[in-house]
Amino acid sequence: MPNIIVLIGRVLDPSGIVFNRRAGRLFVNREEYLLQPADRCALEAALRIKEAGRLKGGPDAQVVALPRTLLPDDDVLRQAVATGADRAIYLAGQVANVDDALMARALAVVVERLGGADLVLTGATTLDTGQGQLGPRLAEALGWPQIVDAWHVEAVDGRVRAVRKEKDGFVAVEADLPAVVTVLPGVLKPRYPDGARLINVYRGVKEMANALERWDVADLMEAQALKPLIERRGQEFPPERERGARVSGTPAQMAQTVAEALGQRVRR
Amino acid sequence: MADMSYLDLLMAQQEEVSEAEGGGGGIWVVADVVNGAVAPVTLEALGAARTLAGALGAYVYGVVLGEGVADLSATLYQAGADGVRVVDHPALAQFALEPYLKVLSDLFEAEKPEVILFGATPAGQELAARLAQRIGGGLIEHVTSASLDESTRTVQGAFPIYGGEYFEVVACPEARPQFLTIEPGAFSAPFLDPYRKGEPKMLEVEPGEPAVHVVGPAGGFEPLTVPLAQAPVIVAAGRQAGDFELVKQLAARLGAQVAGDRGARDAGWIGAEQIVDVRGVTVAPQVYVAVGIRGDTFHNAAMEGARFIVAIHPDPAAPIFQVADLCLEAEPKDVLPALLEALE
Repeated sequence: MPNIIVLIGRVLDPSGIVFNRRAGRLFVNREEYLLQPADRCALEAALRIKEAGRLKGGPDAQVVALPRTLLPDDDVLRQAVATGADRAIYLAGQVANVDDALMARALAVVVERLGGADLVLTGATTLDTGQGQLGPRLAEALGWPQIVDAWHVEAVDGRVRAVRKEKDGFVAVEADLPAVVTVLPGVLKPRYPDGARLINVYRGVKEMANALERWDVADLMEAQALKPLIERRGQEFPPERERGARVSGTPAQMAQTVAEALGQRVRR
Repeated sequence: MADMSYLDLLMAQQEEVSEAEGGGGGIWVVADVVNGAVAPVTLEALGAARTLAGALGAYVYGVVLGEGVADLSATLYQAGADGVRVVDHPALAQFALEPYLKVLSDLFEAEKPEVILFGATPAGQELAARLAQRIGGGLIEHVTSASLDESTRTVQGAFPIYGGEYFEVVACPEARPQFLTIEPGAFSAPFLDPYRKGEPKMLEVEPGEPAVHVVGPAGGFEPLTVPLAQAPVIVAAGRQAGDFELVKQLAARLGAQVAGDRGARDAGWIGAEQIVDVRGVTVAPQVYVAVGIRGDTFHNAAMEGARFIVAIHPDPAAPIFQVADLCLEAEPKDVLPALLEALE
């Protein structure tokens, strides 16, 4: 059966955190996680492609949700299944530090163990770190073509067609399947999880009983391969804001000061 | 007027840059070409590379890919490159992933760079991630500042979290090469020294075929209409704004959304859904320009989360000045025309 794979991650809800510049740290008032917004759009794109039913000329395709990093729990995958994914695989592993290079290698093995895939969809960027390297890295690990920053994706008869925003308007691009496509956040309106499915997937009953699987990363790769390239070296907070700085001079000089300040901050 | 050109010759020690033979390593910058010129972000990356190179004791190299781009090497030399490779091929005229990837991976596998810098542009992002995976390097994206860990010759890059609330500092101590994509505008561009010159090396290559084909323009797509609460830039008017047309022009110039306080609503300039107020819309944009807004408690509480606030108001005691980062005590009608002109 053709596989559409969606990589899904989570992000700490920014409305529950306070960034304290003076203390140089962030305070988590309410530890609540959201699906990465871009990954939610990727899941929506996958479900639409499945429903359109023309991925390989036939209507039978399954959507498989995989985590984009190693997570302490499988909540995001349960949510993906409740939203409409047919199957989800939770990757369990005791790895202190995970980066996208490591995940790309691990996910390439997962794709191979699944018997290949036709399309891999994921978010083009993450809300918190803003990094978008997982999609391209996985495409390289699999040796597939990639389309990044897609606004719209459809897959018809063994080809994937996506719409990207270029300098001078929207452009449709096409590649042969299998391919990796990364989807921008906010451009597709994602659906909500189905309530009954959500309950069933947490209870593990009915058709949800076998939807969620648990694979061990240690079975996929040898221990020495489970080494990230990126090492965290700390955090930097911007200096505290000084409010109330008066701009002096004639109106023209004031305007010049403001124009310079705005020029640095407003990017178009 | 006497002929002073001899002075020019005397003072300018023509610096002919020549490369060390078989050096290997080095810091490489892959140039972004926009409309036949080197993109500003590439110059900024060269500036960052020069700083790192000074501390590291390494050479800086530039790579230009495209068609008819040989002349651009002069700019790269002027910006601080010690060596430039030019790949001039019709297949590279437009950015396409696979041909670019093939050329760069062949080059870098032969040259074994220590650090490779790209601009954090769509093409640079796509290329850097894929190249890093291909030749086994670590990648830090959207780097806004870089420092050096001399003991392990490792570059530490900082990138913004949640759009710049704070910065995470990471490094790739073991993987070589270390890839970084440089956020546009984060580093200062170097002085272009017109006396720095060199002879670029032209590379002969066989780029592959692109795997993704452009079908053509796509219809039916519109740029996103962002709700006011999520707008990145907001220009808001208040009772003292004077000429609302100028406010709208400023918003258009900045690509911003127009909003206002209750006074602007009373004046009939904006709709009820555009009122920034705790009882209306609460906003937290990157930039908030308050034009003629006095700033009552309800308004200020609804926009204090903005990352950068500019306030223009004639009254020095206006409460808006307590929350603004830049305060202009002036009549908006005096400042706005000059501001529109300065933003040209």
